[in-house]
Amino acid sequence: MNCVLEGNSIKAFGKAIHALSRVGDELWLDPTVKGQYNLDSVREQDSGPIKCKLVMKCVLPLFRCSTSIEHSVKRCQISVSTGSDQVIVQFFCRHGITKTYNVRFLESEALQAVFASHLCPNVLKSPARLLGDMVMHFHASQEEVTLSMSAPKVSLRNYNEGRNDHMKMMHTEMSLHPDEFDYFQAGMDSDITFCLKELRGLLCFAESHCLPVSVHFGTPGKPVCFSVEDMVLEATVVLATLADFESRGPSQPTETPAPTTHSCADAAALPVGIHETQSNNLQVLPDVTELVESSQGSPITYPPVLMQLQCQGDSACAGMTPPSSMICSLLFEAMSSESGDDDDAPRLPVLAYFSDEEDYPRSPSL
Amino acid sequence: MKFRGKIIDIACLNHFTRVVTTISKLTKMCVLRLTPDNLFFVLSGKVANGGVSMWCELSQANFFDEYQMEGVSSEDNEICLEVTPENLSRALKTVQNAKAVKVKLTKKHCPCLTIAAELPTLSSVSRVVTHDVPVDVIPRRLWHEFKEPSMPDFDVSIYLPPLKTMKNIVDRMKNLSNFLVIEANLNGEMNLKIETDLVSVTTHFRDLGNPPWGDDASQDGGPSQSRDPESMVEARVDIRRLQQFLVGQQVNPSKAMCNIVHQSVLHLILLHEDMSLQYFIPAVA
Repeated sequence: MNCVLEGNSIKAFGKAIHALSRVGDELWLDPTVKGQYNLDSVREQDSGPIKCKLVMKCVLPLFRCSTSIEHSVKRCQISVSTGSDQVIVQFFCRHGITKTYNVRFLESEALQAVFASHLCPNVLKSPARLLGDMVMHFHASQEEVTLSMSAPKVSLRNYNEGRNDHMKMMHTEMSLHPDEFDYFQAGMDSDITFCLKELRGLLCFAESHCLPVSVHFGTPGKPVCFSVEDMVLEATVVLATLADFESRGPSQPTETPAPTTHSCADAAALPVGIHETQSNNLQVLPDVTELVESSQGSPITYPPVLMQLQCQGDSACAGMTPPSSMICSLLFEAMSSESGDDDDAPRLPVLAYFSDEEDYPRSPSL
Repeated sequence: MKFRGKIIDIACLNHFTRVVTTISKLTKMCVLRLTPDNLFFVLSGKVANGGVSMWCELSQANFFDEYQMEGVSSEDNEICLEVTPENLSRALKTVQNAKAVKVKLTKKHCPCLTIAAELPTLSSVSRVVTHDVPVDVIPRRLWHEFKEPSMPDFDVSIYLPPLKTMKNIVDRMKNLSNFLVIEANLNGEMNLKIETDLVSVTTHFRDLGNPPWGDDASQDGGPSQSRDPESMVEARVDIRRLQQFLVGQQVNPSKAMCNIVHQSVLHLILLHEDMSLQYFIPAVA
């Protein structure tokens, strides 16, 4: 792979790395066919495009100082050297200075989270500023928030259930009128609880590019998707939400579970039901659950009702006691503005993170 | 018990937020006393906080456009709440651009001070944000612990040097020693000293000036008037307490002074336009 970034793209790339660094500790580089990718050189190799997994700690420092990058770096070239298992990042700077960084990678298949956002009943679209203003009211240490949709308004409040001192914690709530959004679709009343930390990274990125943010969600338990796009880039964050214990579906057991600690951390430390989908038409939302990096340290419990994931057919339902299963997926698609042809639907490059791969049978496409 | 206050003026909101933020830097928990005319943030000197005590007085009329309260009873027309000032500070900091901010005593899952702000938006409808800060109601029988402290029978009273300068010096001295001696005389001279086995450092301040209390403020008048203006009076204090006090000050006060009771207590007084703050640090042997 050989990729060249010039001018403002370098800054945008750096900002994307920053946003991703707030989501996870590892970074996948997954080049696609579009852009400046050279097909011929690929054919010479036996395998297809190299998928690189990099440690975020090694990559982030390269793009740390966005102001100095803006001033001094004219061109950035990223290439992969399979022989030495290294990603080579070269900054061609002013005054003839070239900085070369060799970052070792692990070759690995990235997990692609699939999310049918067009099927979500609730959709919000607003400038990043609005969401940033909403989120600003919550302290940086606030782990989880609940977003409530009920037809005349949307509200956001902090979520503290299950913590020992939740009686003594500050409760913050705010509500917004539909008029404040660029687009407001309230398909169903729903309260979803998700982790705020990962979202902040994306909001920061979106605000710096002045992009509107779209939010797609449905029932509690199903993921929520935050996405931004413009002409040259697209970013999506899919977050798990807490399942709602109160609403009982027919597939759930009759006994009442005793919910002990509710948190996204608990919801996520559960078996992952991975669906095999044959086509690109995604009919079923996978019940992916995530252990997002919550430093709550709350004990992991397995309330029986959450075990009832919609595993279908012969798809892999992993065992009941995963030590930790993390899926934080950020799909980042860099589309070159030069390429005009859209004949084949681009396979989205995936920057996804899935640890403990040995424990879970992976399907290459979901 | 009822309390309802409303702040509309942006400058008042800003000042109030700054006061609360200063208090939050001085102590983790304190008592908020509400009377018909004033608000007090009180910390009573207990072993847990190293014997340090604080008294901060605000006149409600300087901040609130509307202020209504009903105390515990008609004779005791006061409300005493234990609160974490940092929560209040966080809530207030996020609503600095509000059209109006209401502070109310409410009962949600527990007694709370609710900060409800109306924020301006681009659309016609205002955005409403509420923060519920949990509080503990202090029963009447404990109110005596949170009375206004009496002026100590000090030996020397002197104006402080610029707080920023003091803070810089204390910060550096903290690296060398855990205890600092503050000494001053009636000639406007003050020294900050630290002494360890290896090193002793003294910073001298001159021409600070002494407040004219001596004539009427001191209880028995005699000792302070007959004191030799050159002789120094000192108090040895835990340097971290002094540093904590200095770190919290965000704005230069109109007047800053301290009273020293020889080897007993350091009494710091800051007077701002709209509030006064007193801070007592006991001396250690």
